[in-house]
Amino acid sequence: MSELKMIHKPEITHTQLVKYAGASGDFNPIHTVVPIGEKAGLDGVIAHGMLIMGMAGEALAEWFPRKDLRRFKVRFSKMTRPGEKLTIEGRVTGEKWEEDEKRLTGEVSVKNEAGEQKLSGRFEFKIE
Amino acid sequence: MESLLNTEVKLKPFKFTIERGKIKEFAMAIGDKNPIYYDADTARKEGYRDIPIPPTFPTAIEMWGGMDFETLIELFGLDPLKVLHGGQEYRYIGEICAGDTVTAIPKVISSFEKRNLRFITIGIQYKNHDGEDVLYAESTIIERGGSKNE
Repeated sequence: MSELKMIHKPEITHTQLVKYAGASGDFNPIHTVVPIGEKAGLDGVIAHGMLIMGMAGEALAEWFPRKDLRRFKVRFSKMTRPGEKLTIEGRVTGEKWEEDEKRLTGEVSVKNEAGEQKLSGRFEFKIE
Repeated sequence: MESLLNTEVKLKPFKFTIERGKIKEFAMAIGDKNPIYYDADTARKEGYRDIPIPPTFPTAIEMWGGMDFETLIELFGLDPLKVLHGGQEYRYIGEICAGDTVTAIPKVISSFEKRNLRFITIGIQYKNHDGEDVLYAESTIIERGGSKNE
C-alpha cells in the first residue's frame, strides 16, 4: 500500500460555487443563495457534492493517466462551506483482474484543515 | 404509497453534444489545471482523440441535458430545500471526448425510505453515436425528513 501525493486546493469561495453551478448546470439555490441556505437550516450555503468529487477526480488524473480510469465511486459524508480549504489524499490498496485487464485499486478522501472528512471513495485504473 | 408512485417515475433518454468550451469551463470551476482539458494538441499528444471529459463531467451532461435539479424535484415530488447528494459512482467503459454526441438512458434503480430519510438511486447508461456503451453513472440522492432530526 502506498500513499499518493497530497493535493491541496485553495479556499472555496462563494464565487467558485456560482461558477460551478453554471458549469455543471446544478442550480439548486442551497449552493448559491445564502438566504435559501439559511431557510433550509444549513446555516448558509453549502458546496455542491459534485464539486468536491470533481476535486477528487482532479487528483486521480494527477496520480494516474485519465484515460486508464475505469471506476470511481464516492460517498459524501459532511457538507462543505465557503471558507474551507480542502486536501485530497489517496493511497493504492492493491491490484485486481476485471474485464480481462489488470487494474490497480485505491482509496481517495477529501478533508478540510481540521481533518473532517467530506468524501470517501474508491477508484480503479487499468494498468495492463 | 408515495414510494410506490416514485418507483414508477419514468425518466426520458436524452442526447448531448460535448463541446470543448464546456469542458474547459467545467475544469476551471473545479480549479483543475490539467492541460488535457484545455488544449486539444496536448490531449492528442497524450493519446486522446480530442479533449477528454473530466471524470465527473457527466454531471454536466445530465444537468444540461434534461435531468436538471428542477426536473428531478418535480418528477419525484421532493422538497428542494431538503435534498442532498449521498453518493455517486462512475464506470468508465469507452473514451468520451469533445465533439462526441452521447445518448443517456436513465432509469430509477431504487426508491425507499429509511429512518426519516428518502433514498432515490438513478442509474444512467451512456452510449456513443455508434450505440456502444461508453459510461455508466449511478447517483443516490437523499431527501431529509422532518425538521426534527439532526
